[in-house]
Amino acid sequence: MHQPTVAISPQSSRQERRKLFLEVMTYLSPIIIIVVVFVFAPLTIILFYSFLKSGLYGEIIYTFSLDNFRALFGGGYGKVFLQSIYLAFQTNFFCILIGYPIAYYIATYGGRWKALLLFLVIVPSWASYLIRLYALKTIIGSKGIVNSVLLSLDIISAPLEILYTPFAVMIGLVYAWLPYMILPIYAAIEGLDSSVLEAATDLGATPARRFFRVTLPLTKGGLLAGSILVFIPTVGEWLVPQLFGGSKVMMAGSLVALKFTSVGNIPEGSSLAIMLAATLILILYLTIKWGGREAIERML
Amino acid sequence: MKQKTNITAKILGMLSFLIYFFLWAPVIVIIVFSFSGNKYGNSWDGFTIKWYAELFNNVAVKDALVRSLVVASITVIVSTIIGTITGYGLYKLHFRGKQFLRTSILLPIVFPSVVTGSALLVFFTRFFQIPLGYPSIIIAHIVFSSPLAVFVILGRMQRFDWSWEEAAMDLGATRFRTFLRVTGPMLLPAIAASAMLIFPWSFDDFVITYFVAGIGSTTLPIYVFSQLRFGATPVINTIGTLFVVLTMAALALMYFVQKKNESI
Repeated sequence: MHQPTVAISPQSSRQERRKLFLEVMTYLSPIIIIVVVFVFAPLTIILFYSFLKSGLYGEIIYTFSLDNFRALFGGGYGKVFLQSIYLAFQTNFFCILIGYPIAYYIATYGGRWKALLLFLVIVPSWASYLIRLYALKTIIGSKGIVNSVLLSLDIISAPLEILYTPFAVMIGLVYAWLPYMILPIYAAIEGLDSSVLEAATDLGATPARRFFRVTLPLTKGGLLAGSILVFIPTVGEWLVPQLFGGSKVMMAGSLVALKFTSVGNIPEGSSLAIMLAATLILILYLTIKWGGREAIERML
Repeated sequence: MKQKTNITAKILGMLSFLIYFFLWAPVIVIIVFSFSGNKYGNSWDGFTIKWYAELFNNVAVKDALVRSLVVASITVIVSTIIGTITGYGLYKLHFRGKQFLRTSILLPIVFPSVVTGSALLVFFTRFFQIPLGYPSIIIAHIVFSSPLAVFVILGRMQRFDWSWEEAAMDLGATRFRTFLRVTGPMLLPAIAASAMLIFPWSFDDFVITYFVAGIGSTTLPIYVFSQLRFGATPVINTIGTLFVVLTMAALALMYFVQKKNESI
């Protein structure tokens, strides 16, 4: 195959462009079809439905209305959205609080057991999500192991009723998403340049000062990546609030699921789903703007 | 000084142990109670393996298991192929709108399952008329798995020795032929990694499947969910135990294969 050696004439540049277009189509048409047909089109359709109304028997009334969004901003749904974001914040905070020490421990003191220690973090999260959450629910339930141990040690006199409170939902969320916080933090600590740490020690920094002034700032990228991995899915979680919160603690995801699967009100469900997606895109946008692209690039 | 690091290590070690305990406690409970005689599967009542016998004779479980395996296998094959060629195209080609495409591919990963699930449900039932069941479940799984495959493979490509490919193309192979004969085989570890990630993801997916499955297409997670509504049963514990044992076996296998490859 001969390569063109002369300066590109308009015609050959058109040919080049044609060739590029063909190549783009060869490699990327499947994903373009998926994105356009199965992501953008469904989103557009629910966006359309979110401006309609539902009749008495779940039939759709084709008149333009903003009622769904008004209900969202004025009524209880808005509160549920705020509650979801608040719970996700709490979850994220606790994931960092308990994820950082373990990641630090594995990276710094793991030695030749590193692979095994990481393995032990990942394995539970690959064993049926649903069954594990249910087991956790029975453990912290009123007749569960936690209560029977506390009762038999006479620490409490009546079983703690943890389930169906925001606290229980948060325990479930932390349990479900903790590994996704540990792994990026571990990667960040593992990637630290040890000479920087030695320099800090040589210059007389105490271990605590070295941690807060050198290690922590340098692993910010890992914290941010972990927070994106934990926070975003947590806001839209449905299964955890369903199991641990019942009908008492709802999150935005529970509302969407409720409207679509039990109530069958497609317009209202669509508006909630659209708002949820919009909220998350906004959060992601702000995170990228605040934390820089670096964290995102690292994640991918 | 040395003393101090030791204390830090010990405290961190103890904290880590507690966190491991938190992560593993439910798994241990599942395994222990799967051997317990108690018929509610939530307390110890003598050792038995009768729940395993019951599991293997349960037709509903078998049906659900087969359905989940079919869905996950097709999903893995299709999304890994799509992920590979897309990753390659995104890495090699430079064109206008590439950044937009990359961001759009991220959307199904970023969106919560309830959003993806409900949007696809409305799309399948009111617009595209795809029968709910195998077709809708498999399409939905491919939609959320392909982006994962794309980014796993793209990530590996960025740390990749491309001189082999240049050599092949300098020697006159077309880009497509080079891909089939040189780049593709070299990408095999990345392809395997993405398949290993997607299989459990698809096999274990509950939320999206629950939305698009329709009536009668019960995958294993949906079967488990429907059983859990009436409280835990010992059979569910046995399913959970097998899950753990099989994933651990698969991971251990993967680890040793990787070790072996590295030593060659």
